Amino acid sequence: MAQSTRYDAKDITVLEGLEPVRARPGMYIGGTGKAGLHHLLWEIVDNSVDEALNGHASTITVTVHKNGKTASVKDNGRGIPVDTHPVHKKPALELILTTLHAGGKFDQKVYATSGGLHGVGSSVVNALSSSLTARIRRGGKEFEQDYRRGRAVSELRVNGQSRLTGTRITFTPDEDIFGPVQFDSEMVREALEVKSYLNKGMRIQFKDEASGNSYDYHHEGGLADFLVARLRKTERRNLCPESFIWEREFSGSMLRLQLALTWTDFPRESVTCYVNGIHTSDGGTHEQGFREAITRALRNFIETHNLTPRGVSLTADDIREGVFGMLSIFIREPQFQGQTKDKLNNPEVRSQVEGAVRPALEQWLHDHKSWGEMIVTRAVQAARARMASRAAANQVRRKSAVSHRLNLPGKLADCSSTDPSRSELFIVEGDSAGGSAKQGRDRTTQAILPLRGKVLNTEQASLAAVLKNQELSNIVQALGCGIGKDFNSSRLRYERVILLMDADVDGHHIATLLLTFFYRYMPQLIDDGHVFLAQPPLYRIDVGKETYWASDDTEKESILKRLPARYKPEISRFKGLGEMMPKTLYATTLDPRRRRLLKVEVPEDKTFITDQTINQLMGKDPQARFHMIMDGAQDVQELDI
Amino acid sequence: MEPQVQPVALHEATRRRYLSYALSVITSRALPDLRDGLKPVQRRILYAMYHNLHLNPESRYRKSAAVIGEVMAKYHPHGDQSIYDAMVRMAQPFSLLHTLVDGQGNYGSLDGDPPAAMRYTEARLSKIAIELLSELKKQTVHYRPNYDGQFFEPVVLPARFPQLLINGTEGIAVGMATKIPPHNLREVIDACVLVIDDPEVSLKRLCGKVKGPDFPMGGRILTSKDDMRTLYETGGGPILIRGESETEKVGRKTFLILTSLPYGLNKAQLVESIGQLIRERKLPQLTDVRDESTDGIRVVCELRKPQDEAAALAYLYKHTKLQQRYHVNLTCLVPTDNPDVATPAKLDLKSILQTWLNYRFETVRKRFEFDLRKLRERIHLLEGFEKIFDCLDEAIALIRASEGKRDAAERLMDHFGLDDLQAEAILEIKLYKLAKLEILAIRKELSEKRAEAARIEAILASDAELWEVIRTELMELRKEYGVRRKTNIGEDESEVDITYSEDAYIVAEDAFVIATREGWIKRQSSFSNVDKIRIREGDAIGWIVKASTRSTVTFFTDKGIGYTMRVDDIPATTGYGEPVQRHYKFEAGERIVGILSHDPRNHPPAVPPTEGEAGLDEAAPYGAAVTKNGRGLRFSMKNFSEVSTKNGRKCVRLGDNMDGVVAVWMSDTTEYVGIASRKGHILSYPVTEIAVVRSAGKGFLAMKLNPDDEVLAFGLSKSIYEGPEVVTVQGRSETARFSKFKGRRGAKGALVMRRGFFAEWKQNPLFLLGQAEEE
Repeated sequence: MAQSTRYDAKDITVLEGLEPVRARPGMYIGGTGKAGLHHLLWEIVDNSVDEALNGHASTITVTVHKNGKTASVKDNGRGIPVDTHPVHKKPALELILTTLHAGGKFDQKVYATSGGLHGVGSSVVNALSSSLTARIRRGGKEFEQDYRRGRAVSELRVNGQSRLTGTRITFTPDEDIFGPVQFDSEMVREALEVKSYLNKGMRIQFKDEASGNSYDYHHEGGLADFLVARLRKTERRNLCPESFIWEREFSGSMLRLQLALTWTDFPRESVTCYVNGIHTSDGGTHEQGFREAITRALRNFIETHNLTPRGVSLTADDIREGVFGMLSIFIREPQFQGQTKDKLNNPEVRSQVEGAVRPALEQWLHDHKSWGEMIVTRAVQAARARMASRAAANQVRRKSAVSHRLNLPGKLADCSSTDPSRSELFIVEGDSAGGSAKQGRDRTTQAILPLRGKVLNTEQASLAAVLKNQELSNIVQALGCGIGKDFNSSRLRYERVILLMDADVDGHHIATLLLTFFYRYMPQLIDDGHVFLAQPPLYRIDVGKETYWASDDTEKESILKRLPARYKPEISRFKGLGEMMPKTLYATTLDPRRRRLLKVEVPEDKTFITDQTINQLMGKDPQARFHMIMDGAQDVQELDI
Repeated sequence: MEPQVQPVALHEATRRRYLSYALSVITSRALPDLRDGLKPVQRRILYAMYHNLHLNPESRYRKSAAVIGEVMAKYHPHGDQSIYDAMVRMAQPFSLLHTLVDGQGNYGSLDGDPPAAMRYTEARLSKIAIELLSELKKQTVHYRPNYDGQFFEPVVLPARFPQLLINGTEGIAVGMATKIPPHNLREVIDACVLVIDDPEVSLKRLCGKVKGPDFPMGGRILTSKDDMRTLYETGGGPILIRGESETEKVGRKTFLILTSLPYGLNKAQLVESIGQLIRERKLPQLTDVRDESTDGIRVVCELRKPQDEAAALAYLYKHTKLQQRYHVNLTCLVPTDNPDVATPAKLDLKSILQTWLNYRFETVRKRFEFDLRKLRERIHLLEGFEKIFDCLDEAIALIRASEGKRDAAERLMDHFGLDDLQAEAILEIKLYKLAKLEILAIRKELSEKRAEAARIEAILASDAELWEVIRTELMELRKEYGVRRKTNIGEDESEVDITYSEDAYIVAEDAFVIATREGWIKRQSSFSNVDKIRIREGDAIGWIVKASTRSTVTFFTDKGIGYTMRVDDIPATTGYGEPVQRHYKFEAGERIVGILSHDPRNHPPAVPPTEGEAGLDEAAPYGAAVTKNGRGLRFSMKNFSEVSTKNGRKCVRLGDNMDGVVAVWMSDTTEYVGIASRKGHILSYPVTEIAVVRSAGKGFLAMKLNPDDEVLAFGLSKSIYEGPEVVTVQGRSETARFSKFKGRRGAKGALVMRRGFFAEWKQNPLFLLGQAEEE
């Protein structure tokens, strides 16, 4: 350690007065960039707003002067006191502007609420301004005093008589601290507009001398007007004819709560919250309370009126989907958190907001039951959409990476090839047939998916029911190509999807159910020629120790002819796939070189009749089905006994 | 593409497969055959038990698993459980009127308990099942190969009685279904006899015999004779059936005992649902229910009072399954010319009987033909014996000289003029038969057999004779198996008059109906203090009226609508209650402005109509309403005393969107009206100046208002010193009393304030109580 840098008592410096502010401006205004610069203006404006909020001022005028560096804020409030302070022997104005922690807001007698930095406000601005002039109208006189960099450079002087009251602060931020100073008039305008909404009835004027524009904001409706304006701006449609507008004064640590709330058809939740007029972009405890209140009020409403939907459970997010709300609260001692101090951290606020908003919102819903029902319907839709999209998201993507296989249904015995153009999927009826198919297949290219029992009739079921059905969702997952609108043939994991059913009538039924499913939910699969019907043999011919399989009558006859005459062949009708040895199954039905397949197509000129047939056979009209069966009875050859 | 891939059109592939499935389900799964009334699975079970396992009523029981295994292996290639279920049903006395399977072990119960597994239970055929099977031996029915061609099975059983109607069946096929109830054997056989005697017999006469289904669980059918006939004529329709009951007195208590139930009803679930009604206090006539059934049905309900029986039953009939509908659908498979094929059809009663009898005719004919064939064979042999026995020694010498059996046969044939069969039979005769007595026996047998053959030939020669045989056999079956009808038909005259009226199930209680300003309603039987009534934060008690749970109250809203509710339906709670909107379709923002109780005890004594009211239909009390626009009217409360729909009843037609009813009060015509406007006018006059209207109207000018003014408060008072109290923001208050603001209807009233306005109307919720308690 070098001797030259000794550390003694003389090295300790005490910054007097406002010097610490100039030394560490970031501690007070968050930084010396654009935000910090404008922070100075908001400090002064908020002082005037406080004056207005507490009922003493009605109009605030903010002016950015022609040079863009100087701003002034004027109100018609009581004016900062100018009489001499009994202890400090200085005019109160000078005390306020030159001393940290001086002001009327610590003691809740004079100001009930305040949004500023607790008394550091004006003095910090003064410290960071190359020049500041305060003009006070009070007690029939007009006073004025000038400051530079936090120090008074003139005595408090009387300019003359005035019947008005109020304060005007004109200041120029110090370029030594901020670098080149330039107020962003658009930003100022927007912030002032917001303030005018949050403080209903207050008139806020803004004069931009550089452009010559001036604005006059005045909103009797307050937040309600703000909500309407924002809805219009974002082009969102209000679900209900009116919004829920509510405000209430309190006597505890929370003083006032205002809110405007509605539901839109936009699938997102948007809640904007203000604490003491300051936007809390990171939310905080008040926002949590607000959101909880919305959820609980809706839930209570649903329960009271027996609106609980069947088949879906509403989550908090479903209920709040489409919420478009604004909340403004005023509390005594806000504690902010986070880098930019825009997250409220007072723990008690959460339950206070929730406790106040929930019953009020609930009552509003009861009073406007039909609107409440619309909101519930919307939430149910949101829940349905959520479930549908989750089901869609659950579907497996292309099987390029092996890890994706983890998402495949457990029953699927996949093939080892990852090349879709070589792969085949056999959908097999029943676990017992699935077993022999698994053992008999060529495991490099052939995958087996066994189904249990009859699958859902998709012609009569809703999409939600289809997605919930375990057997069908196994098929969707195994195919990997999605369903309905999400169908993407490039994701198909197999070149051929082969339905392998028992040759009995229940097997026929399952085949029709599956074909209906593909036709209604994956028509592209059929159009692209991916769907096939396997042709397991129909007859078993036992001759002595030999067994032959025939897939139709002509083949049966030719086998019989070839046989030596001395044997009496035993012919049996083949019933289930489970009857065959795995090897036989491969030889007769699975082996690509020997098997016979039917490729399912919808001929171009038969699109109408296809749709009609499926509808009549599988649809909801039993009469149509009855006629179809009666008309078709003659054509049926195979019958089970 | 592989050479063996052929294209197939989706609609063709689907249609072909679906049709073969549908047809199979219809013809060989879900529907019964008209002739033996059995579905394939049932037929196969019975056949296997009879033919393969010989499980006759006299033999030992065998494990059900053995039966199921036999059926599954040889005839029915489907799941074992479905076969077992089918067999279990045939053994349940509460499912079938005449059980076909005699079960040993737990075969399930009326309470829905499942049967024991097939490895525990045992089975054999019941006696009546043999009547379905016995004639199989006589080659009466067509057989076909089983599913794998190894065995044969009968296409249909030679049923000796009309099993389809007697045991009934249920099944759902594709595109069609069936639901045939069981019938009384005696009645059905009587109807068969009618058809035999007169093939043109009318359905009406048949219905005179077959009065309706006869369910094994008893009960009572309420369907009228005419409806029943229509049902048998069209082959389908609903039947209303209810369980029966009786009362029992034990000590001071009276019990309602349910002794029979509608067919197919799960008893345990019924008892559970009655218990639920008692717990929820929806059925105050009953205090307890328990199931005391052992062999028969005995569900005991404890009555609160003996005279409550009718009311309790009426409620049970309406709100439980003790009374329910059974939809008959007489669909079955009808034989065609092809013995292998039967087609589905929905038939009327007569066609069913006729078709079955025709089948019976064929079967009996085949039976006789079989018998005759056997007889003739025997006669033929006996004739051979006869010839031989006449010259026995000659024959013996011939045989002894012959060289083997074949040679002996030929010599016999040559010498005696016998044929092959006879010669063969003679050679098989045992030596002891050569005794002297045998020839006599043979001659006797021969003459008997000839007589029998002649009898059968005669029967076969005449249809009438054959029908007579069928008739006799049916009557024998009737005697053997006939039982009394279990299900009663028609309304029971002895039964107490049962009419359903909702009011009977309300426990009469006095209650205070409480409504808050924000529209939360509840009732409490008492409260100590208005301030102690629980309300939601920020809310306030608006109205309290007295009423009985048997009466109604009407909630009037600012939209001029009255919603009437039974007091019993208002939640009795010391909590917050519930929002009134839960029960009614309120418009957005619609609010309660008054409540009137229709409990007459809460009404003032009727005052005879005074002058100006003469000619009115209804006497006091009235409802009185005044709107913001200053219109007023009175109306009869009777118009609102009945429970309203969700939309309520209109009582005032409002002027415009801004208009609204300020308040509604009950009036006995002796009160004074007090009205205060927002801008400071106050007026009072006797309520009789406001006219009574018959239906909802705009009303009459109650107070003339300045253009931007509105009515803030409206009240009625019996005292000239009282009335609604209004206050300004500053707290100044004024009472709209007759003593100070006396005027006339339609006047502007006295202006009590030059600047400012009245902000609030201070209302006292107990005002409505006061009205009644003054008396």
